[in-house]
Amino acid sequence: MDLYLPIAEVSVNAPLLVALGALVGFISGMFGIGGGFLMTPVLVFLGIPPAVAVASMSNHVAASSMSSVISYGRRRAVDFRMGGVLAAGGVVGAVLGVEIFRWLRLIGQADLVVALSYLIFLGIIGGLMFWESVGAILRRRRNQPPPPPRGRRPPWLYGLPLKMRFPRSRLYISVIPPILLGVFVGMLSAIMGVGGGFVLVPAMVYILRMPAGIVVGTSLFQIIITTALTGVLQAGRNQTVDILLATLLLLGGVLGAQFGARASSRFRAEELRALLALIVLLVGLRMGLGLFFTPREAFVLMSGTGG
Amino acid sequence: MAIAAPPPSVQAPRAMPAIAAALTDTNVRVNSDFRGDRIVLYGAVFDPLWRPSDVLVIVRGPEQPVRIARKSRVAGVWINSRPVVFHGAPGFYIAASNRPLDDIAHFAELRRLGAGVDHLAINAPAEQRIETRYGIRDMVVSRLGADYYDWRRAVVRLKEAEHLYDVDEHGVRFVDRGLFRAEIALPAEAPIGRYDVRIFLFQNGHPVSQRSRTLTVEKVGVERGLYLWAHQRPWSYGLAAMAFALAAGWAASSAFRRD
Repeated sequence: MDLYLPIAEVSVNAPLLVALGALVGFISGMFGIGGGFLMTPVLVFLGIPPAVAVASMSNHVAASSMSSVISYGRRRAVDFRMGGVLAAGGVVGAVLGVEIFRWLRLIGQADLVVALSYLIFLGIIGGLMFWESVGAILRRRRNQPPPPPRGRRPPWLYGLPLKMRFPRSRLYISVIPPILLGVFVGMLSAIMGVGGGFVLVPAMVYILRMPAGIVVGTSLFQIIITTALTGVLQAGRNQTVDILLATLLLLGGVLGAQFGARASSRFRAEELRALLALIVLLVGLRMGLGLFFTPREAFVLMSGTGG
Repeated sequence: MAIAAPPPSVQAPRAMPAIAAALTDTNVRVNSDFRGDRIVLYGAVFDPLWRPSDVLVIVRGPEQPVRIARKSRVAGVWINSRPVVFHGAPGFYIAASNRPLDDIAHFAELRRLGAGVDHLAINAPAEQRIETRYGIRDMVVSRLGADYYDWRRAVVRLKEAEHLYDVDEHGVRFVDRGLFRAEIALPAEAPIGRYDVRIFLFQNGHPVSQRSRTLTVEKVGVERGLYLWAHQRPWSYGLAAMAFALAAGWAASSAFRRD
């Protein structure tokens, strides 16, 4: 059953998109990520104009994050105060990101920046996560004890002004690092069409040193606020949000997310992380390595007139 | 009692050939199950002397400037050049004829009519400047230099790959004496707007008669409503779309709640 999308102005196979949404939603619920980094490249591959794919993804990511954050909230696994501080930065980042994306499209380098961002960020994060989780799996197999917890928290977290208490995270730190982190993730969200969970989750664990149990819920909470703003901004500034496309994706997405969240309890945490790391690495390489191969066609049409 | 006036055109001074044509459907409606369309054009050639005739049908969609960039290798990475904007490019273009265009008319005639993708009047004015060269004043020089035709050909090649440009040398078929039929495939990606359909009768390499028809491709129903909403009131559209997304997420979470 084919459906004509009013904003993207292409005809797509509706059941395929619902199934795709469900698959990405499942992965998203399982790993506690938005799943935008998977969905956006697939949509572009299916022939949706990249600008529409990136913008409509914001709605999909917001919906599936909303679907999972409520269950995390019930388990008291969301630090709303930390999420709010991150989101304050995220709002600034999203506004900047939407403008940067407009400018990149104007000078014709949006493709390059998007591909490079995928290669660099997914490559680094997938690589680190894979290394760490494989180490953990091997140690378990050999019955070795886990490595001793890392030393004291980095002093720069404490040396900065504007300290704030985060009771749920058991932290008393400056708000500057979380705000900067939020700005960075907000920009990524607008430029790459992702929620940014794959950057946010490791950063909260390794940089802010938040307890692992509340990281995913807090990240999802911040993602809802940032992507909700990105989605409205993309619709208002660029008219690139396709509501039918977003609806098809989120129909599958919200259901998939629920099943994914349940499936996740059947696996060990480090095995899940290794699997996620592999997916992240593959997507990053797939998107980025194209830059190094000689293209079959030397010319490329740019969508829109950039006006 | 009406007195029959002498029919004015019974004795035309010389039997001039003429062409007539009509589209079976002048309105293409783009709704949610739009997957492209086929437009059928019927026509007839009137020529009492039955001289050999050729028919050329040119369909042009609404004009859309084309931005195109060329990839080049910088430090091992393929990156886009600065985009070049070509003006005058139709969003959709088909030249259908009963035999190859080069057999129907000469280069100059085809160029004048913009018949065939090689003769489309597209250019990149921002890349052009007028200067004096070889002692000749007011020469138009393109900043793209000798590559200019590579760029131009690339525009056509990429549009052809999207089925938006086409030359169909056998797209017009004579189904009976003087009666012809043409079928034009409109892909789902075809732009919305007014299409200009021109039908030429060629004899002896020259256009001797021509007809013009218009075709409208428009969104209808829900598609039209959503499109207008998104473009005329983008902020309320964005807010509503996001509210709907958040509500759907919340609803799914409630539906799956296990207490």
